Amino acid sequence: MIGFLGSAGMALALLGAGLLTIRGIQTARSGERRNLEGAGRLFVVGSIVAMAALQLALLTDNFSIVYTANHHAAATPFPFDVATAWAALEGSIVLWGLVLAVFAWFMVVRYRKSPDELGAAALAVIGAVGVFFFGLMVTVANPFEVCVQAAEVGCVESSPWPFSSVVAPADGPGPNPLLQNHFMMAIHPPMLYLGYVGLTVPFAYAIGALALGVPGPEWLRRSHRSTLIAWSFLTVGILLGGWWAYEVLSWGGYWAWDPVENASLMPWLVATAFLHSAIIQQRRGMLQAWNFILVISTFALTILGTFLTRSGTINSVHSFTQSSIGPALLGFLVLVVVGSFTLFSFRADIVSTSPRVDSMLSREGAFLINNLLLSVFAFVVLIGTTYPLLVEAFTGTQVGVGEPFFNRLAVPLSFLLLLVMGFGPVTPWRSATWAQILERTRVPIVVALAAGLITALVVTRNGWVVLSITLGVFVLGSISGLASHQIQRRTAKTGESYFAAARRVFSGDGGFWAGQLSHSGIVLIAIGIAFAANLGAHLETTIEQGETIEFEGFEITYESPFFRATDSKRTQGVRLSIHEDGQFLGTLEPAANFFGDSDTGISTPDVLHGLRGDLYATMLGLPSEGSTNLNFDTSPLIWVLWLGGLTSATGGFLAYRARHRERTGRSDRQTADV
Amino acid sequence: MSNTNRLFAVAIAVMAVALVFLMSTFESDTDRVEQLGQAIKCPVCQGESIGDSPAQMARDMMALVSQRVDEGASDQEIVDELLASYSGAVLLDPPASGSTLLLWLAPAVVLVVGVGVILWWRRNPTEATQPEVKEEKPRKLAPILFLAGSLAAIVVVAGFFVQDRDGPNTGAAAIDTDNLEEVSNETMEAVIAANADHPEVSGMRLALAERYFEVGDFSSAFPHYLEVAQSPDASDPQAVTALVRLGWMAWEGNREVDAAVGLFDEALAIDDTSATALFLKGQVLWCSATDLDEAASLFGRVLEDPTLESDTRSVVESDLDALNAGAACT
Repeated sequence: MIGFLGSAGMALALLGAGLLTIRGIQTARSGERRNLEGAGRLFVVGSIVAMAALQLALLTDNFSIVYTANHHAAATPFPFDVATAWAALEGSIVLWGLVLAVFAWFMVVRYRKSPDELGAAALAVIGAVGVFFFGLMVTVANPFEVCVQAAEVGCVESSPWPFSSVVAPADGPGPNPLLQNHFMMAIHPPMLYLGYVGLTVPFAYAIGALALGVPGPEWLRRSHRSTLIAWSFLTVGILLGGWWAYEVLSWGGYWAWDPVENASLMPWLVATAFLHSAIIQQRRGMLQAWNFILVISTFALTILGTFLTRSGTINSVHSFTQSSIGPALLGFLVLVVVGSFTLFSFRADIVSTSPRVDSMLSREGAFLINNLLLSVFAFVVLIGTTYPLLVEAFTGTQVGVGEPFFNRLAVPLSFLLLLVMGFGPVTPWRSATWAQILERTRVPIVVALAAGLITALVVTRNGWVVLSITLGVFVLGSISGLASHQIQRRTAKTGESYFAAARRVFSGDGGFWAGQLSHSGIVLIAIGIAFAANLGAHLETTIEQGETIEFEGFEITYESPFFRATDSKRTQGVRLSIHEDGQFLGTLEPAANFFGDSDTGISTPDVLHGLRGDLYATMLGLPSEGSTNLNFDTSPLIWVLWLGGLTSATGGFLAYRARHRERTGRSDRQTADV
Repeated sequence: MSNTNRLFAVAIAVMAVALVFLMSTFESDTDRVEQLGQAIKCPVCQGESIGDSPAQMARDMMALVSQRVDEGASDQEIVDELLASYSGAVLLDPPASGSTLLLWLAPAVVLVVGVGVILWWRRNPTEATQPEVKEEKPRKLAPILFLAGSLAAIVVVAGFFVQDRDGPNTGAAAIDTDNLEEVSNETMEAVIAANADHPEVSGMRLALAERYFEVGDFSSAFPHYLEVAQSPDASDPQAVTALVRLGWMAWEGNREVDAAVGLFDEALAIDDTSATALFLKGQVLWCSATDLDEAASLFGRVLEDPTLESDTRSVVESDLDALNAGAACT
């Protein structure tokens, strides 16, 4: 029954997506304002039904479909049963399809309000992407195949025909243990998908504009706004992924340049570049061709990332088992890249824009440097991720590209980006002089250098930490200097109170100031990373029960071992009490979790969060004979990193709101210039 | 430049110099063990370095790194040793030479090209006022050239993935990374079975066989050692280890002196300084009372090795004393 429901949902969505494409193309070609609502509704309702069927099967422990039979267990508790829907390949495609359909629905609603050819063409593109993903779902990655031959646990043979005689196994093996260890699994993937899949929308507008041959401000405005939304969700998703890794994987880090992390970072970097260069096109009418390239590349990178992590080409927590989805995704990637760029080159004559920068010493120049740095950054991540694959495929030798390579290139690029971030916003448009720029930045520079000197004298002389503080304070200083200058100018002109003037200034150019909020978030991220990565301490030790050790100012006492069991897992760990200067801070329970009948323990760290940083404890081996082998790490100021990520994403959402108001004309926009 | 600006410029210069000076006096306390740990990929994990992974094999390797650092080995020596004895261990810090030179060059090339494009673009304004000046020909040619280029690229890439689809990573996807003590034996069996033909599976085979061996499960260990010993892909140290273990099992399990000695000799044919092969061959000859003189000379050769660890040395010395005193083996 569930199998039938799910299959029906997929079929409806596939039909809806197909109709959306056809009717979208008809509308765009004929110019008649056809109704796209029906197709859109079919698409989104079908997707919702498919996801609902999957959830229903998981929540009611219905093992008749192959997905639950092979990835769920009756004992899996809430919310991990819900999260199991995206804990394996087929289900994650259902989530992908649902998110895509929801975005499509918002575009349909927008089209209903103000129908135009660009909107219709973009919907046709979204529909085509939907056809691909739902096509995958009904063919090579079908979660609703019904089980026709059950094993003791799980399903041996399945059939795509929902009317086949169903043999449901009594239970399934449950999801990957790593994916049922933290509630974040319920939130991180949907957030990431909202970002990742959301990047289809700007792509759809870009392709729509190219196909129609109508470049200009309209596609850019829509692509820019939809990128803001997707970018913000992607930022949150990446951040939560890092947090999940930190809380669940017991190595004490949050980012390992793992292929799947890189897969999410590459589109993020290129989308970030687009968010900046879109502003140049809006303000100065430049760089349209480059903007098309960025938007197309961003989408292509999302598909490349999906291919890399979902096809089994690369091993990681996220690469589910090998499946035949790889060639399909690769084919789609090729189609996207070749199709888009062919279309682009046919339109090359009309997309190229004529204005050029007057001087590199200008806001435009700063944006160009920013785009160059972000593109090189994205390229570094791309080549570092794919190089081992290519070398192995062509020469058969294994080469490794890991943290040392990425850090060596990404760190200097990031510092350069911070530098540009400090100068850019205060640099006038068109043409500036060094004297002008120095006059606007001299106070922030002095304050930043002072902050750097204080850090070097009081905290550490570690160059990465000192540089991150210096550059970070410079960026924050130049943003606040700019704000206070504009507010003062306004109070002088209008006689308003300082707060009223501040409100007018910030709401007057909301997009700009939201961007500066995002910049502040990036600064915090840089500082958090610099502290956690460079000033953390590490200790591997054996403690006797009742013994107290000292580590980085913490007094750690091994109280007792403990054992807990639930239906789905057994937990064996040790209880540690943590004091600082005799004052009780909390209890840590690093443990090993054993899921189902497995005798393989999944190490689960425990973290004591604090203002000066975290204490991170991992158990190495099960406790024996009254003593236990433990790993301790400190992550100084790591909360600054999380705060920075949230700040950055908040800036993105606020920028979306501000650009939305601009479009609807509710803003009394002022120029951002000083 | 105004006086104020001049003042600021001086202040900025002085502060910047002071800051750079302070940073330059910083001495990193990241120890070599940690750095080396970051630079080597854990063979049984999903993209983690041995420094990061809590897997047993990674921790063994880290212990080895730390031991070798204490013994004064150079980074290069340690890396080479690890890569030789653990297949699947890969250097994560690719050198800017050989097959990874391109990896380092490409970003630099992109940067230079990017700067070039920006400069070219800035200096060559197109005449927006005269669109008819644009030549028709290259504009129409461009898409066709692009398509042709893309097709060529697709053929190449498709070839690569067709080739790669049976690649080494397939079965290894079953490995669980973050297990506490170890990847379970069953998992390793499954991975080995899935990758049986992969040239680099020997390392994992050997690791698994060692586990069986350590708990005395000779019958499970035997086929894996045999496979490694016969595999043309196994490295020399791997083959030596496998042969030595097989020899010891032949003696310990079945008291087959000739078979055991034959296997030890095979191992010694590959590496005639292998301390374990020399010592165990001596043990077998002594314990079976086959050739006591030969046994004594073998123990002597073990002791010639200056890198022998002190506790091993004392064991061999006491055995040699016992042998010379005419005692039976212990």
